[in-house]
Amino acid sequence: MSPRKDGPGALHGIKVIDLAGTVATGYCGKLFADQGADVLLVEPPEGCPTRRLPPFATGVPAPEASGMHAYLSANKRSVVCPDHAALIALAEGAALVIDDRPGRDRPLTLGELESCSADGVLLSITWFGQTGPYRDYAGSDGVCQALTSQIDWLGEPDGPPVIPGGYQAQIIAGMTAFVGSMGQILARELGNVSGPGHLDVSVLESNLCFSEIEALRGFAGKPTRERLGVNRFRATYPLGIYPCRDGWLGVTVLTPSQWNAFCELLGFDDLAGVERYQQSLERLQDADELDVRIQVRVSRESAADLAKRGQALRVPLTVVPTMDQIFDVDQFVERAAFADVTHPDLGTLRLPASPFRLYAMPAAQGGAVARLGADTEAALRQAGCAS
Amino acid sequence: MSRPTFLRGLRIVDLSMGWAGPLATRHLADMGAEIVKVESCVRFDWFRGWEASQRWIDDNEAEKHEPFNGLNRNKFDVTLDLSKRRGRDLLLRLVAVSDAVIENFAGDVLPKLNLGFEVFKAVKPEIVMVSMPGFGSTGPWSKYRAYGSTTEQAAGLPHLTGHPEHPPTMVHIALGDAVAGLNGASAMLVALRHLKRTGEGQFVDLSHSECLLPLAAHGIAEQSLTGAPPPRLGNRSRHYAPHGVYPCSDGRWLVLQVQSEQQWQALRSAVGSGVAGFGDLTDRLERADELDGAISEWCARQPAADAMDSLQAAGVPAAAVAASKELMADPHLQARRFWKILDRAYIGKHPNGVAPYRLQGGPLEIEWPAPTLGQHNREILAHV
Repeated sequence: MSPRKDGPGALHGIKVIDLAGTVATGYCGKLFADQGADVLLVEPPEGCPTRRLPPFATGVPAPEASGMHAYLSANKRSVVCPDHAALIALAEGAALVIDDRPGRDRPLTLGELESCSADGVLLSITWFGQTGPYRDYAGSDGVCQALTSQIDWLGEPDGPPVIPGGYQAQIIAGMTAFVGSMGQILARELGNVSGPGHLDVSVLESNLCFSEIEALRGFAGKPTRERLGVNRFRATYPLGIYPCRDGWLGVTVLTPSQWNAFCELLGFDDLAGVERYQQSLERLQDADELDVRIQVRVSRESAADLAKRGQALRVPLTVVPTMDQIFDVDQFVERAAFADVTHPDLGTLRLPASPFRLYAMPAAQGGAVARLGADTEAALRQAGCAS
Repeated sequence: MSRPTFLRGLRIVDLSMGWAGPLATRHLADMGAEIVKVESCVRFDWFRGWEASQRWIDDNEAEKHEPFNGLNRNKFDVTLDLSKRRGRDLLLRLVAVSDAVIENFAGDVLPKLNLGFEVFKAVKPEIVMVSMPGFGSTGPWSKYRAYGSTTEQAAGLPHLTGHPEHPPTMVHIALGDAVAGLNGASAMLVALRHLKRTGEGQFVDLSHSECLLPLAAHGIAEQSLTGAPPPRLGNRSRHYAPHGVYPCSDGRWLVLQVQSEQQWQALRSAVGSGVAGFGDLTDRLERADELDGAISEWCARQPAADAMDSLQAAGVPAAAVAASKELMADPHLQARRFWKILDRAYIGKHPNGVAPYRLQGGPLEIEWPAPTLGQHNREILAHV
């Protein structure tokens, strides 16, 4: 079975307007755009927030220099909207309008949306949501990861917790908002719902998907996850990332059969025979000692070769590709996990392709990024406004 | 209270187990789709537990495990032995009256049962099937074994977190599972939209590992843009200061990420004289050690919660690092009624987190808790 090569996209005919241009709203919009929806990024004259996010081509912030903006904005149109009346005209027939406002100063109210799109959905993606005591708090990815307890588990037990790199919390929120808003759009197309709706998505609650089960364990009086060290998580051991001769090897060994096969792979006959090491939790007790042996043993080997031989023994091993190796990982090459995004000033960037594959109606692979305001004139003319 | 009826009329056969697939279908169930979860009495969802001692069996522990009970509310549950002809026939009859099938087995499991997209398509030509193996259903790694940790490692993501003196640093024991779950729900909704518009079903697949690449987008973009990856600087940033995690007087930690001049001015007003001597971003980045020292000194004089309150009152993104066992008591989550108390056989009252999207100001209702094994056999199987 192989995917169909091109088509209008499964979300063709859906119009989405992003009034915020944050990583969270941008990723939500990107999921729509990659599947064929018409996504308008409505920006202020100085450009939306993602244009000011690193990495930058020259190391210096500039509206057309952000690699993150390029990733989030391929296949979208960029419109600088002159006034409120033009915004109303642009929103005509929109299935979804996205903002990032906690309650006040909404650029387009639900009533205004209803007047130009009877079944339109207004989606607000904010750090903390539309209600509650933190509603107006200042947010960031790390702040939300702190409040969901996710970073409490990361790092040395006696040192500070570690903040995950990048914009991970916002990407998760964008994805969560996509699920909620696609549900609303589909509900209207199925005739299960009619009229406007307002969806409230917070980065905070979206990221509880990583820790909610721990919270339930805490409620039941069971022990919850603690910070045990870098790449140490109860009760799986060995679990970690080890330097090899030519790169990094990712290891996860949980069951007795995986442990015995792992020992076979590394020639640890003496360890395979230790009765109590059949249990992952017991191995974790001796992790520091075992780590040294694993470390010494794998340092002479090729990571890719060990991963391949380990997988043949049904042990979940993998290479942990660095950013310059990742484009050449054979599995990613074979599945076209990366695609070319073209930017009028930055040239061609290799970036992650749409993560799920519809075999009958494929997503766009890569695409073009619009300069700030590149589509203003055409979009306003289409909306019946003189620019 | 009833759950919403947004996705009323859509029926999905759920062969998935563990975390990723069940999280995907939990989203769809919360929005009103009919999710028929298929387990077998022998091979039940391993998130019910992975022990098999006599005591564990006698105590009905398979009905008491939090991971299962947190991921499967609002679903129907039937037991079928798919290795037997009768069980397989019943499954196909169920598929024939459904819109979609979802599974997250390792690549070789369904073919061994003589099941798969082509078989489902034979009984329901317009079926949608979402398949969620660790590395996808094609390519040289399609049969590879993976946990949620393996897929995080394979996505290169650990190279973007942690201190340079440490190995590449993972951010979860099973990051890939929850992320693939969100992607699975997304993929299913997109394919169902296509089905309802065109009448065309299809095969859909995802690779957990590829689902994690967007989380690494900033690093991949930097590599692609400049030919070099971002350096690992621990909790420091090349672009913002102050930026870090600081110890407070009660032994707890405070996360602080000042990402604009406005937030820096707010921090200056909250912290006062200790940071008065620092200037613009260039100055702060150059004197990051000194600046971190000044912030640490201020933090050491107060509990983390107080530091968070006074910084937030001024408009600074700051938070005390919470422990998982404290999440149930978080005042914000309580005010937003995030935790819903459900009542279930074997365990009684227990919480579940509501869906992370709210309509018209309120959380979506949860209609019933995670089903017991085979709870809906009669109700569902009588109709097929």
